[in-house]
Amino acid sequence: MQRFSALSTRLAALLCSLAGLLILAGCSLNIEGKQSALDPKGPVAQNQYDIFIITLIVTVFLFITVGGALGWTMWKFRLRKGDDPRYIPPQTHGHPLIEIGLVAGSAALLVVIAIPTFGGILLKKNVPLHLVEDAIEVNVVGYQWWWAFEYPEHGFYTANEFVIPAGRAVKLNLRTRDVLHSFWVPKLAGKVDLIAGQTNFMWIKADEPGYFYGQCAEFCGDSHAYMLFRVIAKPEAEYRRWVRDQQRQTANLNPDTGPLYAPLLARDQWAYPEDKVLRGAEVFARACASCHSLNPASQTNGPNLAHFATRTTIAAGWMENEPDELFRWIREPDKVKPGNFMWTGFLRYNPETRTREVEMAGLDYYDLSDNEIEAVVAYLYTLR
Amino acid sequence: MATTADVENVTHAPAEPARTGLWKRPLKNTGLVGWLTTVDHKKIGILYAVGALFFLLLGGVEALIIRAQLMFPEQEVISARTYNQLFTMHGTTMIFLAVMPLSAAFFNYIMPLQIGARDVAFPRMNSLGLWCFIFGGIILNLSWFFPGGAPDVGWFAYAPLTDRQYSPDIGVDFWIMGLQILGIASLVGSFNFITTIINMRAPGLSMMRLPLFTWMTLITSFLVILAFPAITIALIQLMFDRHFGTFFFNVEGGGKPILWQHLFWIFGHPEVYILILPAMGIISEILPVFSRKPLFGYPLIVFSGAVIGFLGFAVWSHHMFTTGLGVIATTAFAFLTMLIAIPTGVKIFNWIGTMWGGRIRFTTPMLFSVGFIWMFMMGGFTGIMHSSPPVDAQQQDTYFVVAHFHYVLIGGSLFALFAGIYFWFPKVTGKMMSEFVGKIVFYVMFIGFNLAFFPMHILGMTGMPRRTHTYKSGMGWEQSNFWSTIGAMILGLGVALFVIQIIYTCFRGRRTNGDPWDARTLEWVTDSPPKEYNFAYTPVVHARDQLWENKHGPDSRKMERIAPGPHGIHMPDQSWWPLILAIGLFIACLGMVFHGEPAWWGEEARYGLGITICGLLITLGSIYGWALEGPGGFHLHPDPKEYDGALPAPESSHGHH
Repeated sequence: MQRFSALSTRLAALLCSLAGLLILAGCSLNIEGKQSALDPKGPVAQNQYDIFIITLIVTVFLFITVGGALGWTMWKFRLRKGDDPRYIPPQTHGHPLIEIGLVAGSAALLVVIAIPTFGGILLKKNVPLHLVEDAIEVNVVGYQWWWAFEYPEHGFYTANEFVIPAGRAVKLNLRTRDVLHSFWVPKLAGKVDLIAGQTNFMWIKADEPGYFYGQCAEFCGDSHAYMLFRVIAKPEAEYRRWVRDQQRQTANLNPDTGPLYAPLLARDQWAYPEDKVLRGAEVFARACASCHSLNPASQTNGPNLAHFATRTTIAAGWMENEPDELFRWIREPDKVKPGNFMWTGFLRYNPETRTREVEMAGLDYYDLSDNEIEAVVAYLYTLR
Repeated sequence: MATTADVENVTHAPAEPARTGLWKRPLKNTGLVGWLTTVDHKKIGILYAVGALFFLLLGGVEALIIRAQLMFPEQEVISARTYNQLFTMHGTTMIFLAVMPLSAAFFNYIMPLQIGARDVAFPRMNSLGLWCFIFGGIILNLSWFFPGGAPDVGWFAYAPLTDRQYSPDIGVDFWIMGLQILGIASLVGSFNFITTIINMRAPGLSMMRLPLFTWMTLITSFLVILAFPAITIALIQLMFDRHFGTFFFNVEGGGKPILWQHLFWIFGHPEVYILILPAMGIISEILPVFSRKPLFGYPLIVFSGAVIGFLGFAVWSHHMFTTGLGVIATTAFAFLTMLIAIPTGVKIFNWIGTMWGGRIRFTTPMLFSVGFIWMFMMGGFTGIMHSSPPVDAQQQDTYFVVAHFHYVLIGGSLFALFAGIYFWFPKVTGKMMSEFVGKIVFYVMFIGFNLAFFPMHILGMTGMPRRTHTYKSGMGWEQSNFWSTIGAMILGLGVALFVIQIIYTCFRGRRTNGDPWDARTLEWVTDSPPKEYNFAYTPVVHARDQLWENKHGPDSRKMERIAPGPHGIHMPDQSWWPLILAIGLFIACLGMVFHGEPAWWGEEARYGLGITICGLLITLGSIYGWALEGPGGFHLHPDPKEYDGALPAPESSHGHH
């Protein structure tokens, strides 16, 4: 008997600790975080959020009723101090009406969820008619561990962040060049996977201009955690200007018209000394150009860098686009993003030797000096 | 029952070892030989439990390292590669090496006792299952000690990441072969349990009188034999892709990576119910005992268990809502997934109905059971949320899902298995675990668990993806991750305390009588711990909760007992062959792992297939040895006092000698 007498204190302690947990959880409840699905900024995310709230209401209702019944039963029928532990309660075996009623009740609650669910499935798959007219199209291609974005209507590529017009729908065609990835910008839409051998479709729309965080959500190898990206929604006029800018060449790609890769940016806008920038162009041609295209209209094995200086982030959204960070990124890409091909070079498995062989050399091979890296940094900031 | 008994009586050897085999069947049933060659379901059950608890601790340590890495943003406690290996091995270990074998331990130990059987139908096969489990666990974990280390592709191992192009190291090969051999363990065990339950029930124990735990054993075993072939095929295909240049999952050769996902999840979703149904069975045994009432709505609980089993095969694509399935497929799988909430809810209603009007004693097993209902309910609610594909689009592959399935698998499965350990520990050892310490373990685990996993709901909804070895600071995830790590450590402390308590109780525990909880079912009728032959007499069952009726019921529902015949009780002989067969499979699997790898000493020589062939020859030889060693068996004569007052054995059992 004695050992059950302290039950009520124990239950009270339990409830207190549970309440404490919830408060603790509440403290850390930062629903407007940069990548929060609880802060929708577009119609797809809004729809998904609304259905989430419906499921939340249904389950909280169930928690209160079922949990309430459970808690009350635990309290009411517990063995109390002074009770005869040998007492035998009535040996009831069940009641068909109660059971059928509960089954029917839970089925009814599920219908409440099922109906908007069907609407949500349809919405995610198809751009609504009133938005389809002026929708733009972007092809998304996942690589280990970065993103390529192609604007097929305008014929240019960019990488790891892309700009969309606020208020217009964006149709996304999702493909991958290697393993599976998943495209996820929580504030704009739930994720869709990039599956090898097929093209998946989704659409997003940002209601207002904004800066949105996205991240790969399907495990894709060593540096999965570093495969981030940004979606930048701009007002219509700014978007049009951005598209026009992106189509422009930023470096000389024709050996007949001057030194290869020489910046086309006016000299008075260079932030670094001229000799440094030009030496950077040479280093770029030697060590970088085999993977990184400077032609906005073409895509090679690495991110297109034609408009590198206009981007806000580097290393697939992991670092801010600042000279110090860029220096560190080029100096030790393997430390920043383990397994990264920028260091090892692009690897291809050879079934004969059972190892992966370097197909296209990386910076490990070129072994750039700090001076050379500084020159490349200076050069890259002229690409805008 | 009758036919089995007849066959045994016809064929078994006299009370001396069989001599037809390569060597004598071992007689020594103590010491190392006794454990290695045992065919006793109770010893096998104990070995399963010890193995499972070891792997539970191993998987737990892996989890704590994961949590340490995530405690603060942008940390480098371990490398990205190590982190990926840890979460792969944590998941694989907990599912295949901790929770499944711990359930198997209960199936082995408790189920035959609950149906009044003397052992399982195929005692040597039972032993084979055990050794395959042990060697499967060893193969998986051997991977840590080789260059390249453990697999780092996730427990789901999605193609094409498992392709040689993206995972050239042998970790994935260890994973393939480890799972393959573990699949044999599960399949062998399941066929055995099904045969046992269908054929070896005590007289009068009709299907609708079976204890709920035995029912769930039966349903789970059917799930295993229907689900595991899918992963077996997928693993063989993957093995061929990696070793023999086929293109099942490789796009470049016309393969389809999505095929892997379908094959994996048509196994993987029933697997979820393989993990939870035994837990539900355990809860359904404990709640009536400590409420002093029979299970509320027994037929409906049995039926809903079966419905869950059926529907479990029709919902696998809800793991793939984000893979670009069509509208029809997505909708169908969503609605079927919602349907499965109904039988699950039925169980919860009926558990509450069982406690309703009872006289509830909050012992440690009962606390864990009630904790199970609360936590499983929470996990069920989040499950309802992502049954809706639009909601799932935001939750899939985030920490929300991590929270969901840990509520179902720790708060659910593991709490129930711990409840079962506290409940049946006196049955197995004859010793009581301290109630005081047990309650401390429960509260520490309960608080630690909720602190660790509740914040993950918020992490997921605010955008933190799973399987990321670190995260940027300033994303709003710092606090939740910090408290989650603290919670995981508290949970780890609770589990450590539990293991210490078990070891302490084994040596120093207070002795108890056969029925310390005033229980209701047949396993408590016999001694604690039970003798080798379980029951000295054959019980004749007249009611569902037979022990309860024995104690409190009318005479018409009391159990009858039939004394053994003049030749005593027939017992199976021990055997070396299951162990040797498992060693053969182990060698074959290791050969396959190293197939085509350059030799350790760095020469050009390739080996592997040779080792595999040697292993398969050992396996084949063992099958012959097994078949040729004869049925064996011997007779035991229990002290007549043990079946004092029992009815005499029927004439038929005298006839053959």
